[in-house]
Amino acid sequence: MLRILHDTNYDFIRWWKVMAAITVAFIVLGLGSLAIKPLNLSIEFTGGTLMQLEFTQPPDVGVIRSTLDQAAIHGAEIQQFGTNREFTVRAQNPAQVAAQSKGAEGISVTIERVLKQKFGENNLRVVRTEAVGPRVGDELKRGAIIAILLSFLITLVYLSIRFEWRFATAAVIATSHDVFTTIAFLKLMHLEISLTVVAGLLTVLGYSLNDTIIIFDRVRENLRKGRKETLYETLNRSINETLPRSVLTHATVLAATLSLLFFAGEVIRPFAWVMAFGIITGTFSSIYVAAPVLLWIERKWPRQTGARQTSSTATPTSRTRRSTATATR
Amino acid sequence: MSLKWRIAIIFGLIAASFWTLFPRTVVERVKRNGEFVYDTVRRVPLKRGLDLQGGMHLALEVDESKGPVADKSKAIDNALKVVRNRIDEFGVSEPVVQKAGNDRIIVELPGIDDPRRAQDVVQKSAFLEFQITDKTQALEKALPRLDALLKGKTVAAAVATPGVKKDTTASSAGLQSLFTADTSKKADSAKTDSAKAAAGTIGGPGAFSKLVQQGRGMPGEYYVAQTDVATVTQYLALPEVAAAMPPGKVLRWSSDTVSLGGRVYRGLYVLDAKPIITGEFLTDAKPNTSPTEGNLVQFTMNNEGARRFRTETGRHIKDYMAIVLDQRVMGQPPVIQSAIGANGQITMGGKDLQAAQDLALVLRAGSLPVPLKVADVRVIGASLGQDSIHKSIVAGSIAIALVVVIMLGYYRFSGALAVAALVLYILYTLAALAGFQAVLTLPGLAGFVLSIGIAVDANVLIFERIREELAHGKTVRTAIDEGFRHAMSAIVDSNVSTALTAAVLYQYGTGPVRGFAVTLLAGIAASMITSIFVVRTFYMIWLNRSRDAQTSLSI
Repeated sequence: MLRILHDTNYDFIRWWKVMAAITVAFIVLGLGSLAIKPLNLSIEFTGGTLMQLEFTQPPDVGVIRSTLDQAAIHGAEIQQFGTNREFTVRAQNPAQVAAQSKGAEGISVTIERVLKQKFGENNLRVVRTEAVGPRVGDELKRGAIIAILLSFLITLVYLSIRFEWRFATAAVIATSHDVFTTIAFLKLMHLEISLTVVAGLLTVLGYSLNDTIIIFDRVRENLRKGRKETLYETLNRSINETLPRSVLTHATVLAATLSLLFFAGEVIRPFAWVMAFGIITGTFSSIYVAAPVLLWIERKWPRQTGARQTSSTATPTSRTRRSTATATR
Repeated sequence: MSLKWRIAIIFGLIAASFWTLFPRTVVERVKRNGEFVYDTVRRVPLKRGLDLQGGMHLALEVDESKGPVADKSKAIDNALKVVRNRIDEFGVSEPVVQKAGNDRIIVELPGIDDPRRAQDVVQKSAFLEFQITDKTQALEKALPRLDALLKGKTVAAAVATPGVKKDTTASSAGLQSLFTADTSKKADSAKTDSAKAAAGTIGGPGAFSKLVQQGRGMPGEYYVAQTDVATVTQYLALPEVAAAMPPGKVLRWSSDTVSLGGRVYRGLYVLDAKPIITGEFLTDAKPNTSPTEGNLVQFTMNNEGARRFRTETGRHIKDYMAIVLDQRVMGQPPVIQSAIGANGQITMGGKDLQAAQDLALVLRAGSLPVPLKVADVRVIGASLGQDSIHKSIVAGSIAIALVVVIMLGYYRFSGALAVAALVLYILYTLAALAGFQAVLTLPGLAGFVLSIGIAVDANVLIFERIREELAHGKTVRTAIDEGFRHAMSAIVDSNVSTALTAAVLYQYGTGPVRGFAVTLLAGIAASMITSIFVVRTFYMIWLNRSRDAQTSLSI
């Protein structure tokens, strides 16, 4: 029998302050940099035009830019996309977006016309065009925010029914933490936030929640067993007991994510990045956010009944108690 | 549940999956030699989204730039019918035309290779009017008024069109005299007459009149140099100019241009505002080509339309009738020789046969009750979609290979059971997607690849539990039972919460993201079935093979 991290007894929660400092620093760094440059939102949210172009010969990016400038399409972002013959052109500054309220296709028609004039009708092919008017962009933005908030609410209700409100709240707070770290990650990596990335974000939230639920399910079970130990110890025990599962599952999901990242092409790459980061932040938050928050809630609003009472009242002094417990083990 | 039943259910599901996924013959519209025809094709019944097969997605909303629309929802409902008619005739395989929200129409055209033409067909108002050209020289009479009005704005106009200024200084003839001269020369050949006019007679004292000159002798016809069209359009849009226009008349541009004496002109027509008849009585329209007039569209009116048309044209013998489509005069207004009945034609000028076909199509489908504008458009080339599918298959294969290696390496025999279950997982998920006619999108494919990694999670949970039970010294049979039982709550809770998230995504997502949510949901269901039910059955078969002889489990 091949075993990884079997029967471990790490004191995970002991390090929560250090971990809290690290994650807060990461979030502050990421969200703080928003003050310098805003999030890289895709045209789906801001409105604007995105075109993917395929040239027969590698073109000069400077020529593309000057051609667009002459056509009064200023500040378009021109990026290589895969090979050196494929490029994307993104026009999403406010003037262009406003022009699209008359008809979303306007800018893309101009771009195609001037570039074909410059490079020749047959030397360039438009592979993909996306043009979104300002109103649609606003609606999608609102839809994405509603989707995230609503999924939180539904999760909270479901977990409250299946567990109880303390667990539910801790799980949702852990998941919210992942929203912030993922946004910070997107910002620091300068990844474009599209609808697909938002779907990726929601997948990360679901995945992270899964992880928290697996641990909490163990906690629930261990609490029922009525051991004479503090909640702090129960949490640590549960995390250790589920550790082999966590490692295995993260390994298989990481395998799928990495194959997406390396083989599924440019369009899917931002999604794969989010997912890859999500595995890390999801695992992290299940241990270092959900557990400490649950401990904190238990201390503030202790349970009333039997065995659980000991765990909750013990929490304030749990750190000293735990150290003696590990020492004797 | 007895083992026999379990096996029967699994095989039943496999059979059902194969049946749903089996390539079948379907009737669909395919493109052949540039024409769409109905044909039977054999294919796996998995629907691909626009991002995978290429095509065009359009969201249209009411264009209120030319005046507000009172009841947008109702207007959109009416427009929807027209757009649907047009798209049905346009010839695309499996188009989608539907209302989204209260005030938007979604049009999805898979496999379209000429998006601009498709958009024209959808957006064209196709409002047809027949109007008699003005015989009262209303514009000439209004010219002094208009020039006076525009006096203050002349400077701006001159700056806007520097080319005109030169022409103006070169000529000295007054506009009114010019007009009289022109009309007296009616007998002359139209061409030379206009050429002369173009050569040396543009101009006049007024800002407006210097830009407009008499046409080829037809009452109500004027020419404006193509370079001045924008300026004149601006003038006409001014509210004070509109107020000073002759009452009961309208000005309409011609749809095409004429080249006279080296300069390009566009016709401007003064028409009686009240049309003698509109396109609402049209029953049929066909494209045709005539050796003398080029491409044209022949139309037929219904009885009532024919009767009105006959009466009205009978009243206007020797007058000129402009055929106005979407406020543009199509071709040269013909003179009415005698009363016209049910049939008529619209000449296309220099446009190609396809333009005639498209015009005939939109005329048959009826006019749009409100102008529509594009709120959002996505066009994806077919090759890009192919490429995406190919890459997703590569990524998926690699993901499967890695997961198989991990599971076999770590859990050995039990891992092999999980891998067998994974194969069934893939089969069931695809069958569910085909069965519910879900649309497969690129994010959906990515979600599917990802779900291969996530699908084994339930197995991992169960296997770890079984290991724990074995470590507690339980027999193989009890350990397996207990393992499944204990892992159940975690599996259910985690899968249900993920499913709830997917449901929210489905509700609030659009196109591609919706495809993602559907794949996720199908995957969750299939993963629950395979990891809990199928793997359990595998264990039962294994345990049954040699009764209680199984004392150790490879896990």
